[in-house]
Order: sequence, then C-alpha cells, then structure tokens
Amino acid sequence: MKGRERKIIQYVILIGILLLGGYAVGKTLFVSDDDKPKIGGRPPSFENVADIEGNLHSLDDYKGKPVVINFWGSFCPPCVAEMPAIDRQYLKYRDQGLVVLAINLSEDDITVRDFLKRFDLHYTILRDKNRMIEKKYALRSYPTTFFISRDGRIQDIKVGGMTEEDIEQRILKLMEA
Amino acid sequence: MNWLSISSGAFITAFALYCVAFLLYVIAVIGRKWKNREPEGHLRKWGRIAFVFSSLGLAAHLVFFFTRWAGAGHIPTSNMYEFLTLLGMAIMIAFTILFAIYRSPLLGMFALPLTVLIIAYAAVFPQEVQPLVPSLQSNWLRLHVTGAALGEAFFAVGFAAGLMYLLRVTDYNDKSASARRSQRWLEFSLYVLIVVAGFIITVFAFRGAGYEASFVQENLSIDARGNEQLTTQTVEYQLPPIVKPHDSEPVSVQPFLGLDRPLFEAPGWMNGVNAGRKLNTVIWSVISGTILYGLLRLLARKPLGAAIHPLLDGIDPDDLDEISYRAIAIGFPIFTLGGLIFAMIWAEQAWGRFWGWDPKEVWALITWLFYSAYLHLRLSRGWHGLKSSWLSVIGFLIVMFTLIGVNLIIAGLHSYAGV
Amino acid sequence: MAALFENTKCECGHQNPPDTTLCESCGKPLGEEALSNRPLEMRYDGVARRSQKANPNLIDRIWNFFSSVKVSVVLIVITLIGAMLGTIYPQENTFINFDPAYYEENYGLAGKIYYALGLSHTYESWWFITLLVMIGASLVICSLDRVLPLYRALNKQQIRKHLQFLTRQRVTYAADLEGGDEEWTRKLAEQLRKKRFRVAAEQTALLAEKNRFSRWGPYINHIGLIIFLLAVLARAIPGWQLDEYVAVREGEAVPIPETNYYVKNIDFEVEYYSDDEMPDRLKGTMRPKRFETKAELYVCEANCGSTALEPVLRKVKTHDILVNDPLEYKGLKLYQFDYDTTPRLKAVRPVLMDLKSGESYGPFELSILEPESEYELGPYRLKLITRFLDFTVNANGEPANLSSQPNAPAFLFLIQGPDLPAEGETFFYFPIQTDRERFGQDLINGEMAERFDIRVTDMANVEFAGDVSYLNVRVDRALPFVFVGAFISLIGLVMGFYWQHRRVWLRIDDGRLTLGAHTNKNWYGLRAEVAAALRGAGLDVDPKSLDNGGKKE
Repeated sequence: MKGRERKIIQYVILIGILLLGGYAVGKTLFVSDDDKPKIGGRPPSFENVADIEGNLHSLDDYKGKPVVINFWGSFCPPCVAEMPAIDRQYLKYRDQGLVVLAINLSEDDITVRDFLKRFDLHYTILRDKNRMIEKKYALRSYPTTFFISRDGRIQDIKVGGMTEEDIEQRILKLMEA
Repeated sequence: MNWLSISSGAFITAFALYCVAFLLYVIAVIGRKWKNREPEGHLRKWGRIAFVFSSLGLAAHLVFFFTRWAGAGHIPTSNMYEFLTLLGMAIMIAFTILFAIYRSPLLGMFALPLTVLIIAYAAVFPQEVQPLVPSLQSNWLRLHVTGAALGEAFFAVGFAAGLMYLLRVTDYNDKSASARRSQRWLEFSLYVLIVVAGFIITVFAFRGAGYEASFVQENLSIDARGNEQLTTQTVEYQLPPIVKPHDSEPVSVQPFLGLDRPLFEAPGWMNGVNAGRKLNTVIWSVISGTILYGLLRLLARKPLGAAIHPLLDGIDPDDLDEISYRAIAIGFPIFTLGGLIFAMIWAEQAWGRFWGWDPKEVWALITWLFYSAYLHLRLSRGWHGLKSSWLSVIGFLIVMFTLIGVNLIIAGLHSYAGV
Repeated sequence: MAALFENTKCECGHQNPPDTTLCESCGKPLGEEALSNRPLEMRYDGVARRSQKANPNLIDRIWNFFSSVKVSVVLIVITLIGAMLGTIYPQENTFINFDPAYYEENYGLAGKIYYALGLSHTYESWWFITLLVMIGASLVICSLDRVLPLYRALNKQQIRKHLQFLTRQRVTYAADLEGGDEEWTRKLAEQLRKKRFRVAAEQTALLAEKNRFSRWGPYINHIGLIIFLLAVLARAIPGWQLDEYVAVREGEAVPIPETNYYVKNIDFEVEYYSDDEMPDRLKGTMRPKRFETKAELYVCEANCGSTALEPVLRKVKTHDILVNDPLEYKGLKLYQFDYDTTPRLKAVRPVLMDLKSGESYGPFELSILEPESEYELGPYRLKLITRFLDFTVNANGEPANLSSQPNAPAFLFLIQGPDLPAEGETFFYFPIQTDRERFGQDLINGEMAERFDIRVTDMANVEFAGDVSYLNVRVDRALPFVFVGAFISLIGLVMGFYWQHRRVWLRIDDGRLTLGAHTNKNWYGLRAEVAAALRGAGLDVDPKSLDNGGKKE
C-alpha cells in the first residue's frame, strides 16, 4: 500500500472514529433531556385543550402575552393552598395582559367540578387527559409552575408550592420582561 | 412410566459410575509406577477401561436429563440444581471430546473429580421439579442455557488442564521467592477446591442428621403510600447457626456440640433476609474445608501440590498447555453463541431489550471479555505455558462466580433459589 | 535498526521491500532473522507489515497505539474490571423512580462513594463508553493493519523455498531417500492430497495447503463486532429507539407516548398453577402459569394528543400478547410486562334502607366515576353533593382526596323527603366496608345513621373494574443490525478456531528430502498429520520428532 494512500485511509478512519466516538461519549455527558422544558427554552405546545366550559384552548392562542402555566390537582394540598393567592395576583395584572392557565392533572369531571365549587377562581382552568400534557412538560412532582415571558420563552420554573410573596415577585418579573 | 423416579435412579447411577471412572483413572496414572508393568501399556489399557466407565456414566447422565425432561414437561434447566447437573454433564461431554482428540487419561484424573464436585454441589439445592413462570417458557431458553453450559464446560476442562500444568511445572524443590510464591498460590487454589468439597460434605452431613434451626426477623419498611409496614420473615437454617441473621430472634435452635445459640450476628450492611444464613454457610464451608485440608495435609506430610506433582511425571507440559488452550478455543465460540447471542435473542423476546446490564448479563460479558483477552495473549509466545495456565484458573473462577456468586449474592431478573 | 538494511535484494534475485524478514520469493531469512538460529517468526509470512518511519508523527503514533494487540488486551481488561464494578450495587436504571439518596441510605459510606464516582450508572458513564469506543478503534485499526499484508503474503506464495526457510520451521524433517526424486515427489503429493491438502508442485518441490479461509476468521469476527458496536450506537438516531411502559385497563384504550398509536385492552387473563402442579414448598403461593392480554392496536388519524377532542382511531392489528409473544406492527413491539388484578370498584348497586320503617328502596346504579346527580328512591330524593375518589381527612380536618385514583371512594349525599327538613340532611356513604369503618361513617352521619343506611345487599350488585395490564412498548430499528453483527462475529470465531490453516513445503534435491510445515494453531494436530502422510509414503516418523522447538524450556 503506497504511503500516500495509506495516509489518506488513516486520516479517514481516525476522523470517523473521532466523530462517532465523540458523539457516543458526548451523549453520556449531556444527558439528553431535549424534550424536557428548560429555562430559556420554549414551552412544549398543546392544542385543543378543554376548559371547564368545554371551550378549546391552544398555547399559541396566547402568543405575545405573559403566561403562567400552573399544574394542579385536587389531591395535592400545596397545589390547593396556593390557588387563592394565584387568583389574587391574576386579578391585579389581568388588565396588563397576564394570562394564567391552570392545567388540572387528568382528574375526572365530577372531581374537578366539585372542587372548583369551593373556590371563586377567575383564571382559566384547563383539563389534561391521560397525563398527556403532564408528560410533555416532564413533571416530576406537583405543583409545578412555568412562567413564560412575552417572547415565548420560559423565564422560570417553580417546582413546589408558592407563598403569595413568591407568586407576586415572579409575576412582577414576568410582566417586566 | 414414572419418569422422575427413573431420572433420580439414573442420576445416582451416573454419580457412581463417575466415581468408579475416577478411581480407574487414578489406577491408570499411579499404576504406571507399579512393579512388573510396562508404563505406557498400563496407562493406555487402564485409561481405556476408565474411559468406558466415564462414557457409561455420561450415558446414564443423559438418561437422567431426558427422563427428567419427560417427567417435568419442560427442559430441566430452570433452577440451580438442574443447571449444575447440566453443567456436570456438559463437562463430561467436553472431556469426552478432548479425550478423543488427545487420548490423555491424566486429563480424566482431573476432569472427573471436577464433574463429581459440580454434581455433588448441585445436589445441595432443592431438587423438586418446579413449574415454569411464563418468562421461562421459550425455545431460546433451551438453546441459551445448554449452549452456555457447554461453553463453560470446555472452559472447565481448560481449567483442569491448566491446573495440571501448574502442578506439573511447579518445582517444589526450588526455594527462591518467586517459586515459593507460585507454590503458595497453587496450594491456595487447591485449598479453595477443598473448601467447596467441605461445603458439600457439611451440608449433606447436617441434612442427613435432619438438622434444623429457624429465626424470625422483623423488617420495618415504608410502602408506597407512606405507611409503615412491619413484616416478619422466618429464616430456616440447615446448618448450626454460628451467625444469626441481623436483628433476629431464634424460634428454635437444635443444639450442636453443646452450642444452642448463635455466637454472632450478621452485620446489618449485608442485604437481604437470607444474608445471615448465607454468611453462616460460608463460615461453615471455610471451617470444614480447612479441617479437611488439614487432614489431607497431615496424611501427605507435605503441601498437597507437592504430593500430586509426582503423579504428573512423564507428561510433556507443552501437551497440557495445548489441551488447556484447545479446550478454551473450542469452548469460546460455543459460549459466545449460547451464553451471549442466544441470551440476547431470548432477552429481546421475553423482556423487550436484548441487553439490560443485568448483573448476570454483565458477568457473562466479563467472562467473554476475559477469555477473549486470554486468546489474544496467546498470540504472544511468552504467554504460553505458565501464564496461560494461571489465566485458565482465574477464568474458571469468573465462570463460577457468574453461575453461583451472581445468583446468591447479587439479585436481579436472573436469580435462582439458594441454600 | 531495520532501516539500515538498504540492500534488500535476496540471493534468489527477488527484490524485497525494506523490513521484509523472509524473502517473499524463496523464503530465505533476511536481516536480523538471518542472524538467529531460532525457529522463524512466521507472522504474515515475514512480509513487511508496516513502513516504519524514523519520526512517526502524531497520526502515526495514534495509529500505532491502536494497532497494538497489547493495548487492545489492556483495554479489554480495564473494560471488564469496570463492568465488574457496576455489579456491586444495583444500577440506577433498575429503578422506575430513582432516588439519589438510595445508595447512601442502604449502603452507608460505601454507597455514597459509589454514587459520587458515578458507578451507579457505570454502563452509561463517559469513561465506559470511551473504553468501548477505544475498543472499537482498536478493532478497526488492528484488523486493517494486519489483514492487508496477510492477504498479500498468502496470495503470492512461491513453491520452492530456500532450505533455511524449511529447516527453521517449527515442524521440520529431513531425510535421505532411496529412489527417484520425481517418484518420491509424486508419492508424497498423493499422501498429502489424501489428507485433503491442495497440492501445488513445481518439479521436485511441493506446497501443500489447506483451510486458508481459517486465517480470515479473526478479521471477520472483528468486522462483526464493529457492526455490532455501530448498531448499538445507531440506536441514538431519533425514532430508532423507544422504550415506554403503558398501563391499560380492560376495556380501555390508552395512547402510546411519542407515537401516534393507541392500544386497547380487550381482555386480560391470568392463569395460576394449581397446587397439585406445584411442589410442597411452593403450595399456596400464587405462581402465574400464563398471563395474556388480548390487545388491539390503533393508529390515531385526527385529534391525536388532544385532551379535549376524541381521537379518531383506526384499528390496525389484533394480537394476544403473552410474555414471550409481543404484538408487532411496523417495528413497534408491545410486550406483556406485568399486571395488576387488585380489585377496584367500578360501580355498586346499593339500596336505601329506611331503618325505622324497615323499607328499602332501590337498588340504584351508583357508578364510582360517573354517578348521577340525583336519585329518586321511593319517597326520598338522593342528591349528590360531592364525590371523593380517594377519601382522606387533610391537615385542616377537611375531607379531601389523597390521590386521583379511586382507592377509597366516598359519596356525600343530600337526602330529602318525608320527616326530613326541606333543605335535606347530609349523608356520607362509603361503598367499601373497610373505608366505612376506617372513617367512621356512622359517626359522621350522626343521627341520620340511625334513620338510614345505604348498603349493598348482594355481591352481585358490586361491579369491579377490569384488570390492569402493563405493557412495555419498544421500537428498536437497529436491532436487526445488532444480531447481524453478532452472527458475523460468531462465524468469524468458528472459522478461526475450528479449522487451522496448514501448509507443508518440501523439496527433494538429489535424494535429500527437506520438509517444513507451518500452522497458525494446533501444532499437535499438524505434527500428527505430517507424520501420518510421511508414514503413508513409507517413512516411519514419530510426530514428536518433527517438533523443532520454539518453546521455552
């Protein structure tokens, strides 16, 4: 095998190994949570999700607006505890364009209806089914709240219940962005 | 036709025939030195007789296997007892093949006790036929388990030949530091084998005497709902408890040698409800093995390796090296096919993934990688002979750990029952 | 240094490339090999394998590194030790919900170190993958570096070899013969052909060769392993791999995540071994004999992923899924993984009992998930105020749901009717007896408990929800390549280990026979074969005597 041919083959093979090997090793270092929503990234979209009256909503409907997506369930005490506070903050900033979408964790009609009877909530309650939206958002525990700024990027993700001050601060940040 | 009773009878017959064959091989080898005998002729004649007996034993063993299959309705490879008896049978098959190639009765003198040891060890485990859980009902199971057993059997014969090489080549008159080191490692290997024998003898002795002891262990655990669950588990011992399970109370303990309560308690970091019992068994094995070794050493009045060394006189160590290598070279593709490829096919079918890094799978891979390293090292002339023989010993250790250690110590999808 | 031997022309006239150790034409030992007396180094038949440069550059150095067998052995050993470490404690991927605190909690300090070193995910760690990549590189480079010179060497073999080549083989024989040279050559050729050698003759010289294909075995094995590793890597290609679990209750259809498919559980059956089928030790334990799901696979054509709109489904496959028998459709496979037959209430048909009058009204259909809002029972009206799926009393002392699963259903009714206030009286009803006792239904209902009771009078009036079947959904497009690679590797192993490449050269010069033989494995067999061939021609030879050493004594 001539010297030059040999050199070319060596280069090709070593580069091939470097690329494939680099890819293989790289995968382990950057654990691929590509689909998992991250701060700075875009929120997973959803379409045609029903609210309690049966109207359909899609995330795109709220493009250009600051959106708070809060995942909650009637069986989740910290979710329930923060709802009145979320409502109060919502009312404050509603006129400035704030949107709050509270997505219920796939509970059935009666449970959600009965639950909401106890509260006077003004923001939009959406119904997840079969945990589909929940899985898209890769939820690990409840409640989890996503703060999405006007430019459509996730500004903040809060896992766990929030105090009223907490909610106020984050919404303020959201409105100012 | 009661297949299972025929099967048990065949098993005992095979066992007896193997023992007879072993004695005949010993006569063939030792008898060379007897007076009025022509060494070569004697070796060949008695070697042939011994081979007839070992083949008859294999035939009986095959009868055991197939009649048990008929009686159980499924191939007898699904618990520890069945697998180890299969391994013993496979070792005999591997030995028969290598004997046909190399005609070495000396190999028989080592391969047969290995088979007997494995079968006796098998008999320690529960012997009843158990119905198969759904994940074990597959054709690939038959192929995987038998293939793996056959591959490992060749590795076992390679180990026997490797051990023979070490015994042949270790110079017990050499007092230098390196020679003494290899003498000691060789002696230790023999000691380990004797500990295994000690384990088997102990278990059967106490089982024969009907020994029993039991302990109750309470486990506090937290279930998925956050509720505390108190579970009590009973641990049955078949050997006198030197070590009792961690945090347990005796229910009944038969006294032995004046001892009616355990001396120690198993440490808490040992996982699993049976950890204490297993530790107890290990301790007993070491004790009885050491006693047995001591007795043998007293009889021989020298290191056991030195006692066996003269028996191997007259055989060219290169031939032993060749047999050991050849056995491993034959076994490697079989093990690749049965132990890895069929296993991957079966796993894909049963569990939906061909490889899950389950401890048993990982150890099968470790075995494969080890023998692959062995085969690569043999490309270099410097690794023939002594180094290869030690590698064949270590390789067999790895095989045994894969079969027994993983099952008993590490849990997983693959577990078999235990003692 | 080999580079100093510039004159590479052999005495037979053939010009050899530098670093050739055995003349490519006549086999005469050259250079350093000529100075020694030991058996010839026959690797690659003495052909120059690598052009050694005076100053290897970086590329050459990397190449040489991976080309070394010693390095590959070291890599194999490190990999196997690393793999051993991963079996000490259960790996992360064995848990469905992994909790990092597991190792320290269960194994103390050792566990903490184990987790910190990343050994809890050994087989996905960067260093383990790096080792596999390096082994892959070694496979490629070792093979390339060797197979080409080997092919060249074996392809152009000369028949008449130099005497030194023959006498310094590991198997060699020399004898004086009575009779004609051609006659002997013919006789020996015939004997060798009987042993299935392919014999090429050139006057009074012979080359007998068999099983050359066996030499390619290791390289085919390596190719197979390379394909295997590449296939494993290919699983990272998006869409090539999926591993999800779905739980489907009888009668329901659930979406399969990351796909457009839905799977419906038509019926789930589990059969247990009867006690007579089991040995004494296992009697009474519920050992499953067989469990299967009659399943239907649907493709979603519209409204997929919608939570509000009903998906439009089209059935594409029906199959009984058993543990070793998955449902397969276009690369998608559904395996039977597990099941849950824990009984769960679907509906009850209780009666309303007026304890004072002894009358009972009903039974009425009370579905757990979708109860009616109102029931007319005789003179009474039962209005449903609220329903709990998993009743509990929370920290504030209020009734609440513990989870979204109907584990402990409870109904709060308003009973209106004769002898009751106009706005009605509340009545709590727990369909499950243990819940009723646990939460003290009678205590909650107070005086109403003495007037009324709601209870199911007959087990026939209890309807259970179907069993849940757990299925494992998998896609593995790379799988066929995985097995192809594995089988090619196996074929290579079989080729390499179960046959040996044997060559016998001999020449007869004026009644003097000089013979040399070589094999890549199993010298014992070669000696026996050569001795048998010689014996067949009338020369009585003991196989052992053919051995020319090459071993360390």
